[in-house]
Amino acid sequence: MKRILDVKNLQVSLPTPNGDLRAVRGIDLHVNKGEMLCIVGESGCGKSMTSMALMGLLPKRAEVTAEAMQFDGMDLLSLSKKERNQVRGMRMSMIFQEPMTSLNPSYTLGNQLCEGIIKHKGLSKDEAKKRAVYLLERAGVPYPEKRLDQYPHQLSGGLRQRVMIAMALMCEPDLIIADEPTTALDVTIQAQILRLIRELQQEFGTAVIFITHDLGVVARIADRVAVMYAGQVVETASAQDLFSDPQHPYTKGLLNCIPVPGKTLPGSHLESIPGVVPSLIGELKGCAFENRCSASIGECCYRSPSLENHLGSENHQVRCSIATASSCREAV
Amino acid sequence: MSEYALELSNLSRHFYLKNGAFKEPTLLKAVDGISLRIRPGETLGLVGESGCGKSTLAKMILGLLEPTNGDVLINDKARGSSSRLLMSRQLQPIFQDPYSSLNPRKTIEQIIRLPLQLHKIGDAKSQQKAVKDISDLVGLPERLLKNYPGQLSGGQRQRVAIARALILKPSILVCDEPTSALDVSVQAQILNLLMDLKKELGLTYLFISHNLGVVEHLVDRVAVMYRGKIVEQGTREQIFQNAQHPYTQALLSSVLTPEPALGLPEVLDSSAWDKAS
Repeated sequence: MKRILDVKNLQVSLPTPNGDLRAVRGIDLHVNKGEMLCIVGESGCGKSMTSMALMGLLPKRAEVTAEAMQFDGMDLLSLSKKERNQVRGMRMSMIFQEPMTSLNPSYTLGNQLCEGIIKHKGLSKDEAKKRAVYLLERAGVPYPEKRLDQYPHQLSGGLRQRVMIAMALMCEPDLIIADEPTTALDVTIQAQILRLIRELQQEFGTAVIFITHDLGVVARIADRVAVMYAGQVVETASAQDLFSDPQHPYTKGLLNCIPVPGKTLPGSHLESIPGVVPSLIGELKGCAFENRCSASIGECCYRSPSLENHLGSENHQVRCSIATASSCREAV
Repeated sequence: MSEYALELSNLSRHFYLKNGAFKEPTLLKAVDGISLRIRPGETLGLVGESGCGKSTLAKMILGLLEPTNGDVLINDKARGSSSRLLMSRQLQPIFQDPYSSLNPRKTIEQIIRLPLQLHKIGDAKSQQKAVKDISDLVGLPERLLKNYPGQLSGGQRQRVAIARALILKPSILVCDEPTSALDVSVQAQILNLLMDLKKELGLTYLFISHNLGVVEHLVDRVAVMYRGKIVEQGTREQIFQNAQHPYTQALLSSVLTPEPALGLPEVLDSSAWDKAS
């Protein structure tokens, strides 16, 4: 399988008055062609920072380093600003969380949809409009021709998100990063939008990095999942493996604290993860999850675990000394 | 003891949307003739999509918005028959966003204590003790009382909001999406707290949410709202196992549980439930 994106040891740090906030602490990620990778985690775990770093949208003062950030054979970090602009929008595009704020209120939708493709691919206005109409139609927007002259405020939230999806597909990118694209939407609309993203992704063979905090969404849409905690990937596996056989205590905790209709006994005490996320300023000593982990042992306080294969499989990796130790015993 | 803790009879709220200076305004029936009854000690879940009028309804129950029509009865007394201060001793809100519902310039202690001061209950010393007791009850460490809301996490802030709501010992809580701004691990803590408090204090909840998993876990009865009307109501089992209205069925089928084998739900056509309602 060909890797479209391969990231090694990505780090993002932001200067704050209290010291450097290390939001992303060494992430290894790869996305295969046409694959749906879900990054899941709670607020403040660095999932949005990762996506902004990949897109090159972080402010200048943010320090982004990586051993490698290969996108289809190109090293993204060594590109000039101009070259990066060429890649972004044409070969990588993004769907943002808030369809209410991520469209420009003072330009028509047609203007915003066509801007990128005219600039990147040198299409004429008419050709660009034709493509916009085609994609709006594919995205399930009724009366696509009429929409080109409308402004964002004339559309509902669900429709705006469809426009955003059409916009992301305009230049036929190889990779789309979708940052919580359905969080602001109602459940019935959410189901429609997820289905749309899945269908278009399969039809156009686009790779998607889907960022969300909702494990329900992840379960239904992902090929592969990376669970993030405190700026690190703590577990990565195929969706099947992750939900049927979670290894990291944090993943298990997350799965246990959601009430599932028909499974959780109504009114019963829900399991929760005690404590709070550690501060990301400065170094973390030992395992980042140690203070909230019910299974932690002495060595977790000082030894930071690395991401190890579970049962010798490269497809399921976990960052936990205890899980790794027990997996080694099982393998023997 | 009154028969119903909270009773809404034919409650409506209409808005007029302006269409420019010379055009007729459009009538928007945000809440359109809703009747609901909640018995003491019961939890009623109110579900529906955004814009269906859930929050308008909550505002009318709390007395923050005048109804166009109909009455809100709290413990058999009409809201408006006595002062707002008296009503607020029986009914308190918990809002969605703990980041904007707490005054950032007051300490946690001042925030929790304010209702007692407004109602002139007790002297300074007994108020302080009451604040400590209630913080204990909601699991808020005492050391945080001197802090400001900005220094607290989302879960802790929601505990402050719950403490503030409970300090007047109300019998009814109106929870408007109390966990939707929180992370799932924290959501579980707050839901557990709400269930424990209900058992301990015999509270009545009106629980407004769009998260059906949470609603199923917490409530005794469910009312489904669509475009300002209640389209279906019943016990938890009736709604979750045997929903009749197509909109309720659509809502239930859109719930995404963490079960990868199920895939994405079929997209349903909204005309089915538009017709039925």
